[in-house]
Amino acid sequence: MRRKIAYPLATLGMVGSTLVIASPALAHGYVSSPPSRQALCAAGTVTDCGSIQFEPQSVEAPKGSKQCNGGNANFSILNDNSRSWPAKSVGTSTTFNWVLTARHRTASWVYYVDGTEVATFNDNNAIPEATVSHTVDLSKFPGKRTVLAVWNIGDTVNAFYSCIDLNVGGGATSTPTVAPTTAAPTVAPSASPTTAPTSSTTSSAPASSGSAWAPGTSYQTGDVVTFGGASYTCRQSHRSINSWEPSVYTLALWLPL
Amino acid sequence: MKRRLVAVALVAPFLLGACGTAPSSPAAPAAPSVQTVAEITAGATFNANDVMFLQMLADHQQQGLEMAAIGASRATRPDVADLAKAVSLTETDELTLMRSWLTEWQKPTTVDKRVSVHADHGGLPSTTDDEINSLKTVTKKDFETAFLNLFLAHQHNAVEMAQIELDKGANEQTKAFAERVKESRADQVQQMLKLLNG
Repeated sequence: MRRKIAYPLATLGMVGSTLVIASPALAHGYVSSPPSRQALCAAGTVTDCGSIQFEPQSVEAPKGSKQCNGGNANFSILNDNSRSWPAKSVGTSTTFNWVLTARHRTASWVYYVDGTEVATFNDNNAIPEATVSHTVDLSKFPGKRTVLAVWNIGDTVNAFYSCIDLNVGGGATSTPTVAPTTAAPTVAPSASPTTAPTSSTTSSAPASSGSAWAPGTSYQTGDVVTFGGASYTCRQSHRSINSWEPSVYTLALWLPL
Repeated sequence: MKRRLVAVALVAPFLLGACGTAPSSPAAPAAPSVQTVAEITAGATFNANDVMFLQMLADHQQQGLEMAAIGASRATRPDVADLAKAVSLTETDELTLMRSWLTEWQKPTTVDKRVSVHADHGGLPSTTDDEINSLKTVTKKDFETAFLNLFLAHQHNAVEMAQIELDKGANEQTKAFAERVKESRADQVQQMLKLLNG
């Protein structure tokens, strides 16, 4: 095993050193659901967030902070309560799900409400499981609350910070984001808490045949669009995004007519 | 390694030939002179970062295709399945592109060992065989949450790789491709976070 590791690193020695230089800017994890503030920024639900929009996993700072940005000045917007972060309605017991972009040995996962520690999950320096989620009892904290979730890394001095705005006890179901058992209940409530949708991502109108291609549109197989003076037919149903416009790179989605 | 290279060189023209869907007229605005991605050449100017980016992302993307296939077959909501299918199709073409450029440069199209961009400070890659296998065994009820969280991390990693290429790469085609990767994955992240939070 060691020999296998040494070989490519030696071969790519110059490249390896580049990665070492670049890596401090990279980062490692955040709470995706219920949505943390950085998740709301990355989803485009809250706009004008700055660089955090493209790196919600980057809220890294020394352990011990009780701030939403962990004290990381690059992301002070996360501390700004005047941004009216939409509060997700949840039951009194809520499951928090994490996205991990690197699997670091973990000391603990700690949850705070209004500065009070409400739950701690000790990992004893283990590497995280494939998916990480924690169910936390918030019954003593009804109403609108901001939960601070902290991932304490086992082998560095740092932690990763996520603030999640909740309306505890305000939900019809206890854990709406965790277990989508059927399609209907998870899709329907989405409109209400999303207070600041961007126009490009919420369009759900079906494309009329021959209309101009646009991002944020649900296209069905067989739909026809125009783009750059040419017509294309959709080959795989999808919701369009920037860079999936008809081109030589997207022949699998759009067939020129 | 040599054998792998030969195999790819043989496969690439076949894929090109198999692309019977190639347009009859040059209609693509992005690259009007070519009709399939396999015809796009990278050019002779490149550095070690360009090679590393394409090798790492190609390896990463093979994992992504595995995950997307599982997502397409196990997702409950059509929106999730359609996203997985569309990612699978577009990334398959991207993989062809990356391998043909590496072959053009006479570089291996595979990596011997999966290296995390966080390896220097103890971080394992976000996606390993364990993570992919977990998607096969997780209950139907929990599948979409598991899939979306794992695929979010996977696409965040692609953005990280693309950003390094944009900062350190030399080949213009590869950097333009990295920009496409960054943009498309960031938009997929938006979709997935919305799907996750219903």
